[in-house]
Amino acid sequence: MKKNKILITINELNDIAKLKELGINHYVFPLKDFCVGIPNTFLVSEIPKDVYDNSYLFLNRVLDNKGIDELKKIIDSLPNIKGLIFDDVGVIPLIKDKNFESILFLNHFNTNKESVKIYLQYVDSVIVSTDITQDEIEGIVKSNPEVTLFVLGYVNAMYSRRLLIDNYVKYHHLKRTNPLKIKNGAQEFLVYENAYGTVFLASPLFNGLSLTSLKAKYYFINSAFLTFEDIKDLLEGKSSLDFNDGFLNQETIYKLKGE
Amino acid sequence: MPELLAPAGDLERLKIAYLYGADAVYIGGTDYSLRANAKNFNLEEIKEATTFAHHLKKKIYVTVNIVFHNKNLEGLKEYLEKLKEIAVDAVIVSDIIGLKLAKEVGLDIILSTQASVLNYSSVQFYKSLGVKRFVLGREATREDIIRIKKEKVEVECFIHGAMCTSISGKCVLSNYMTNRDSNRGGCAQICRWVFETDDVPFTFMSKDLNMVEYLEDMMNIGIDSFKVEGRMRSIYYLATVIKCYREIIDKIKSKTLKEEDKKYYKLILDRVANRDSAPQFYQKFPGSEESYFQDRIEVSNQDFLGIVTDYDKKTKLLKIEERNYFQKGDIVEFIGPNMEDITYTIESIIDEEGNSLEVARHPQMVVYLPFNHELPKYSMMRIKVFDKKQVL
Repeated sequence: MKKNKILITINELNDIAKLKELGINHYVFPLKDFCVGIPNTFLVSEIPKDVYDNSYLFLNRVLDNKGIDELKKIIDSLPNIKGLIFDDVGVIPLIKDKNFESILFLNHFNTNKESVKIYLQYVDSVIVSTDITQDEIEGIVKSNPEVTLFVLGYVNAMYSRRLLIDNYVKYHHLKRTNPLKIKNGAQEFLVYENAYGTVFLASPLFNGLSLTSLKAKYYFINSAFLTFEDIKDLLEGKSSLDFNDGFLNQETIYKLKGE
Repeated sequence: MPELLAPAGDLERLKIAYLYGADAVYIGGTDYSLRANAKNFNLEEIKEATTFAHHLKKKIYVTVNIVFHNKNLEGLKEYLEKLKEIAVDAVIVSDIIGLKLAKEVGLDIILSTQASVLNYSSVQFYKSLGVKRFVLGREATREDIIRIKKEKVEVECFIHGAMCTSISGKCVLSNYMTNRDSNRGGCAQICRWVFETDDVPFTFMSKDLNMVEYLEDMMNIGIDSFKVEGRMRSIYYLATVIKCYREIIDKIKSKTLKEEDKKYYKLILDRVANRDSAPQFYQKFPGSEESYFQDRIEVSNQDFLGIVTDYDKKTKLLKIEERNYFQKGDIVEFIGPNMEDITYTIESIIDEEGNSLEVARHPQMVVYLPFNHELPKYSMMRIKVFDKKQVL
């Protein structure tokens, strides 16, 4: 396990020291007001100065104009952190003349080697989608070793701008539950909402640590809804949590038989 | 004047869309399109459709909007070259490789709503790659649109039809629930399913979009294209929706649109869809009022009774292909391209052998109705759903 290549989202500032002990030294701070599907977010001022060199801001919202304008102000006064990881391509023009490492995490896109190659002309790395098979990912990494691979954590299966939990509890006059666990058949989702939208996280969590055998630039871990101990156990292969490997060994179809 | 842009799942729908007033139509090819299980168009049909459209001096766009996996890239460039040769007016793409190749072969590019563009900075990025027009995310507000228009790009906005609960392109629920890839056209509409919780079942389905109320304002802020959703919808739905919006746009243009007209069009549009509709994100943030919950009842629409396929001037008989049961004595309406709706009482039904019938029971059966003047082919007969004077 190349722990020095792991990028991990931070839940608690106290976890940083423990992660450091574990050999993990790239920290991803979900930026307050710029993330969805993540309960713990941070202001730039909350990032400890001693980890600036190894810190990234994480922004996974689809941004409207107001969001872009607000982000522009933040970027203009940003300390010398290492980089930004973001979903919206509108961030690219904002940082093109800045000295930040840029990682595009365009959820559900970047499923083929050519698209990844194009985006790599504009950013330093691209997070490859978790919606494809291990073989497909291998093909992408082979052509583009600068990519980042999502290897562990809850995966975003749906992102709505609507406040779906809020609508549900208001309509039925229920007590608010956030996150909300929902299920249909064998498939469960963890639904989490904040002011910027609602995210369905596929449950159980995704464990694609086998992908760390591929020679990618970084390996990304989303620690949302997990504790440091959960992460440690998962990395050491002794977790009792439920997990699966998503679509790594299960190719999706899109045309029905006979069509 | 903005373009009225209609969907078409096959050649018949395409012709109906143009006849009922669409300025442009978007279609999907048999490959690379997000409605993988619609009939769609092969290259020969795209050529025929393009010739038909251009003969009418109208436009045609082809969706190439899947999110490509490695193996889907095979043949993509050749396909785009063919579309260029056929001279379609633009392609609608979401994946950056589609965009790059379309530019290389010299096609005009419309960025699909799947790319979730809601801000001017994303517009600047994609514009620098050659995108001419943007289909904004359905979450775009009026203010977002006004700001984006300052980037001197064409903006296309949905005005009617089903809504994804998700931001378009940001949903793979179908992949998890059915193993069908939603971003390659396999969407199984999981947002209309019911989920268990520890309490009341959880549903999260959005009502449809309907912009009748704000269409004039949308015209005033300079939106270039008004898009109707629904490549898999019926010909009746398509004809009704396009006719309504054509009339609304024309009335706005001639400054003759009245409040009672809007009320009437909303009633007709809600009825043809079997679902309630709302303006959604344009003017205010949608809440529980703009969503359905699990007690929603969907009633099958039986309003469409038949389609006019011919008229015999000598016998003064309309030839009708039946779609739903009707009988003597029914009061119906004929709607058609470029005509006022006509109320009609069925006094006689004649079958192909010349026998008089009391009822027309069987879908697809051909019958004749006496009528004192010709109606255009593809006019449609429906239950008289509302009497405009009575409901207003």
